[in-house]
Parts: sequence; C-alpha cells; structure tokens
Amino acid sequence: MEGITGVNLELTEDQALFRDTTKRFIEGEVPLAEVRRLHASGDGFDRRWWRQAAQLGWTAMLAPEDLGGGSLSGHPLADAAIVAEEMGRVLTPGPFLPVNVVAAALAADVAHRDTLASLVAGETVATWALGEPGSRWCGHELTTTADVVDGQVVVSGVKSYVEALTAAEEVLVVARTGGRLTQVLVPTDAAGVTVIPGTSLDLGRRFGQLQLDGVRLPQSAVVGELGGADGTVERQLEIALVLQCAETVGGLDQVFEFTLGYMGDRYAFGRPISSYQALKHRVADLLLELETAKGCVDAAVASVNAGRADAAVEASVAKAYVGDRALHVIQECMQFHGGIAVTWEHDLHLYLRRATVNRAVFGTPEQHRERICSLVEI
Amino acid sequence: MTTLPQSEPLESLESFRERARRFVAANLEPADPDRPARLSMADARALQATIFDAGFAGIAVAREHGGAGLTLAHQKVWAEEVEGYVVPGPLFVSIGMLGITLLDHGSEVLKRRHVPRILRGDEVWLQLLSEPSGGSDMAAVMTRAVRDGDTWIVAGAKTWTTGAADADIGMCLARTDWEVPKHRGLSMFAVPLKDDRVTIEPIVGIEGGPARFFQEFLDDVVVPAENLVGAENEGWSVAHTLLLHERNASAGVGHGLGLGGLAEQGVDAQGVADLVGYAGRSGSVADPGARQQIAEAYVAERAAAHLAERVTVGMRVGAFEGDWGSLLKLGLAVDGLRRAEIGITVARADGVIWTDGSPDDGGAAGRAWLGARANSIAGGTNEMQRNIVSERLLGMPREPATDRDVPFSEVVRRRGP
Repeated sequence: MEGITGVNLELTEDQALFRDTTKRFIEGEVPLAEVRRLHASGDGFDRRWWRQAAQLGWTAMLAPEDLGGGSLSGHPLADAAIVAEEMGRVLTPGPFLPVNVVAAALAADVAHRDTLASLVAGETVATWALGEPGSRWCGHELTTTADVVDGQVVVSGVKSYVEALTAAEEVLVVARTGGRLTQVLVPTDAAGVTVIPGTSLDLGRRFGQLQLDGVRLPQSAVVGELGGADGTVERQLEIALVLQCAETVGGLDQVFEFTLGYMGDRYAFGRPISSYQALKHRVADLLLELETAKGCVDAAVASVNAGRADAAVEASVAKAYVGDRALHVIQECMQFHGGIAVTWEHDLHLYLRRATVNRAVFGTPEQHRERICSLVEI
Repeated sequence: MTTLPQSEPLESLESFRERARRFVAANLEPADPDRPARLSMADARALQATIFDAGFAGIAVAREHGGAGLTLAHQKVWAEEVEGYVVPGPLFVSIGMLGITLLDHGSEVLKRRHVPRILRGDEVWLQLLSEPSGGSDMAAVMTRAVRDGDTWIVAGAKTWTTGAADADIGMCLARTDWEVPKHRGLSMFAVPLKDDRVTIEPIVGIEGGPARFFQEFLDDVVVPAENLVGAENEGWSVAHTLLLHERNASAGVGHGLGLGGLAEQGVDAQGVADLVGYAGRSGSVADPGARQQIAEAYVAERAAAHLAERVTVGMRVGAFEGDWGSLLKLGLAVDGLRRAEIGITVARADGVIWTDGSPDDGGAAGRAWLGARANSIAGGTNEMQRNIVSERLLGMPREPATDRDVPFSEVVRRRGP
C-alpha cells in the first residue's frame, strides 16, 4: 500500500539487493510458523541456520575485511540496521544484536582476532553482558568488578538480562576497575561461571543471568585496556540501541500494514471498518508515530555510524520515542482487530511481546529521558 | 522578421549562492536567536522592495511576471543563505501562497499586473475562504457573487484571516451557481479590500493583546469581471491549489522558502529552551517528574525534525507523493499543544500568577498555554488533517456524505430555518 516504506529511503543498489536477499532468506528459512515452533526448543534458534545467516553477511558488517567482514555501503551500521529491520518484520530469532555488538568490540583489539573470525563465520556465538539486577545499564551504576590479581584478571558480580546467554560460548562482560570500565571476554565454561536461564515475555528470544564468582582468566581475556572501556561501552550501547530500535520499527511497520489490510477486508454494518472516521483518525495518528519512529531510527543510524558528537543523544532519542510509541501503535492495531487480537493463535501478541521486551532492555524510555537530561545538561 | 530570443543558460547554484551571500551580508540584519524579531508590515514591505530590486524575489517565478526566472533549487539556496537573518516574514502568505496561486490560475492580464507588485511587497494579498457559518466544510460557501454587466457584486462574510488590516486584495471564494453540488458552483475573485463596502473587524485571540485574526463583511462589493481568478464556477480548484501551497509552506517546500515559514505567522512558539527556563526559575528542574516531561519535549522536538527530514527526502526520491504536509502539520499541532502543557506544568504557580520581577514576569508560559490550542485549529483542524492522511496517504475510504451530488440550494433548504 502507498505510503508504507522502510526506515532508509535512500538505499544504494547494493543495499536494496542485500535487503531483498535477507527478506527472502528469512521468509524461506524462519517464517513466523517456524518461530512459533522454535520457541518451544532449547535456545530458540537453530545453529545450522545461524551459520547460513552468517554466510549471508549478518555477522560481518561491523568486523574488518581481512576476517571475512566488511560493509556493503561503507556505512556498516546502516547495513546492519537493514537486517535488524527485516528481522523485526517477522520476529526472526537468532543472536543478531549481541553478536554484532561483540564483533564491534573485538574489531578494535587485534588480540581477539580468532574469536572474532569464528563469530563472523557463525561458528561461535558470543553475547554482551551490560545490565545488572535492578535494571541498571549505566556504567556508573555497575557493581561487577574486574581486577588484576597475581597476573590474572578476576571478575566478580552478577549480570542480568543477557540475551542468548544459554547459547553463547563467550560473554563480553562489562565490569568496573576502580572508577573506570573494563570489558572481559569470559568463556561460559570457565570455573566460577554460572548461567541461569531466564524466562522472558518474548517467546522467540532467550535471556539469562550470569553469576561470576571470582572468575580467574589470563589478562589476555581483557578486550582493549584494563579500565579503558568507558568510550567503547558507550559506543556499543549506541549500536545496541540503534539495532534494537530498527528491529522494533520493522515489526511496527509489519503490524501496521497487515492491520490496514484487515480493516479494509473486515465489514461491519455494511461497510469496511476502514471507512469509519472514528477509526481512520486513530490510524492517521499511528502513521504519524510510525513515520516519526522511522525518521528517528534513520537519524540515529547515521549519527552513530559516523560517530558524531550527537550520537549518544540521537540513540537515546530513538529509544525514548520508539520504546513508548511502539506499544501504543501495537495496542491500537490490536483494538482494530477486535477479539482475534487477544488469542494465542493470532500473531499480534508475538509483536507486542517483542516490542515490550525491547522497550525495557538497554534502558526504558524513562531511563533514556533522564540520560538525555544529563547529556544536554538540563 | 523576428527571431526568438536565445534562452540564456541558468545561473549555477554556486554562483547564485555567492551572489545571494554578498547581498544578504550587505542588506539584511542578523536575527537575535533569543528574541527573533518580527517586522511590522511597513518594515517588511520596505525590506522586500530592496530584495526585489536586487533580483532575489520570486526566484523561481518567470521574468515576465516579475520573478528572477530561476528554479526552486535556487529558492532553497536563498532560504539557506538568509537563515539567521531578519526576513520579511509578514509577506510570507501574500508571496508564498497567494502570488503563486495567482500564477497557477490567474489570467495573463491579472498575472502581469499583480504578481510583480506582490513580489515587491507593493501589494499585499490574503485569502478569503473560511466563513462564520462553516469552518472545516470549506466548500459550503454562503458568500454570493452575482454578475452585473462588466462587474460582479459580492456579498457575504469571511473570517479567520490573518493580517487583513494590512492587506490590499483578498482572494475570495464566492458562490456563483446555487443549483449545482457545492464544489461546482464556486468562483474565485480578487476583491479589493480598501473599499467602502468592505468592513474589517479584528478578532482578539484567546490570549488577549493585539488582534491576530480578522473578519470581513462584504456588503455588495463591486468587482470588475476581469478579477475572476480561474474560470467561472471553477473556484474550488483554485482554492485547492491555494491549500496545497499552504500545506507545502508548512512542510517547508516551495516558493515561500526564505520568508520565515508559517511558524512565524502563528502564536508565540515555545521551544525546549523556554521550558528549561521555566523549570529553572520555578525550581521544578530538580523534580524527576518535571525532568521526564522536559526530556519528552526534547525528544518530540528532535523527532519532529527527523520526520520533516524524512518527508523531504521521501518527496525528493519519489518514495512519497501528495499530501505529506498534512502529516507534518498534524504532528506540529499535537506537539505544540503538549509542549505548552509541559510549560505550564514545569512553571508551576509562576506560570499562572506573576508580578513585576517575579520569576516568570509577563506570564509567558501561561499565555503560550492559552494560545497553543490555535495550532490544532488554524490552517485546517487536526481532524481535517487526519481525514487527508487516512484517505489520501493510506487510501482508506471516505465517510459517506449527504451533500454530494445534491444542488447546494437543496442542501441549504434541508438545514431548515
């Protein structure tokens, strides 16, 4: 239908081709029916399928070319956002976000080339552990520590809300070293590591808690410098926010589109329900929110990709806007569907679940509004 | 034997930009970012004459109609160069909307006579569309025009016109045939306003102070037949063009670029900086609830800018066409009211009660709060924008109407006494 378009209105020819390939791959390999089946299985995604996705380039965008990485357009995050948006449309499972955030972190440190190459190939799955119990996502709120004792790095603490934790072989843990941040690559089979699987509202995605009880690792496990990760953690957070928002917006676009179709097909009192002004006006408001959300994501992608000075603000603006409006858009679309919307059978609740979880992970809109106040010195 | 003049190549954008920059630096005043100045109509006219005489008015308008004969891309360059300077904002409607509509529909005689005057600010035009008896139903015009030899006699009432006290000519929609459905019996006339049979009365806005709007009573005004704009009974398409130029203007595209935009015409706009100011003075800046709301306004302001950019890009690359200006206008109206609501919240009691020297001396937050609700009504209500968005952008079916295909005289009869 006219008026419905993706986040990026100026895709290059290569990007448009990549989007179409991605779309066909998702529709062929993991349609929503498959997602429903996978939700009952262990990790919620299939490793063989993930390796195929890696071959299509899903893990490569933020990694260097000599390790099999590289960007189509020269704007790595713009390419990654295309995948995130398409995944959002059909709620594709798979550790796309955490693997890419870890890839971005490892790309800056030659000491972790082997792990990065294995991530890019889809052989290893790694995830990023930022949050801590109590919905704490800000560097200064973290209490997990990483200190050097007897030539080894010792990591202690609890990390929560970690995506794909049960599937991951490696976890990039954000910890404090004195007043500064350190990132340590922790194998999930190391001594002192306990993985506690969690249950989330999102049926297609697994989260867990990671307990680190004096985990001792060689100093080579540190990514970058000890106490030198404040800037990279911020950048990784921005990447995570952008990909998360792109995914949410992809889902919104899909929900909006099939809802419009439904409203045209559904008759009540002798005419399609799409002809009732009481509903049309609400749909107009949703288009405003949807298109604004796309604009916010597009702007955040550009800013974070270029590492501009306003990247932190734009990433939080996108999260604050998309996080809230997504739930409003989906709720309205559910109301337009009537009774079928509140059944297990209909897909709407799957989108509501994904958007609700995305709203909270990496900080709620409320937390990002407070972050904006700090960033712009209000 | 005559030869056609050779068409000279268009000036490059770079060369135009340099020329514009030199002119702007020498002739325009830098604007104070904290207190944007709004010129009086007299000052605006004087400044516009200087701009016209230097060849920077009607940049994309043909030379025979007084313009510079360049393109809208040049107009955009001009707008970029005057950014941060005081511009003749009060002429925005006359030049950016009325003059351009006249170019689209006026006879060659009207265009050659009036467009150069409009572009120079020598003549100020406005639109006479809305009537006291009908707001959103703009085609339900009751003002009548009756042919009398070489003239038309126009009678009726118009309302919600901005700046009528300063205007010379109104583009007036009047009914010329009552026995056809409402859209088909309308004609557009250029009506002289400085006429004994035209009474202009101010309408004081909700916030008090000087009138922003006017209403006009046309008491058998005699209008020369050549002042018909477009064909007889085809006034609705002229009005439609006018509204399109209005929406383009609010979306920041078209011939009015560089004249300050619609925002400058409206009530005092409030920015996030104003809210931070209220919150700082009232002390609410330390309150987490107030901070959430200020950040919400900040997010909305950035988000609106991103949407505007998206629509501009979408129009350029062909992903969007048609009435996307309505979506932008709807967003600005919704945000504007919410921002005013946040202003009155974070200003606390100082927003509603003030004395000389008290924190919000002058009651800026309170007045903005009252005035902000005009945004969702003026220039087409939010409800009309929602109709346009759902029907024209999303293709949703129209609501059934009982006045379609019915002679307008019958529609009026049905209303009863």
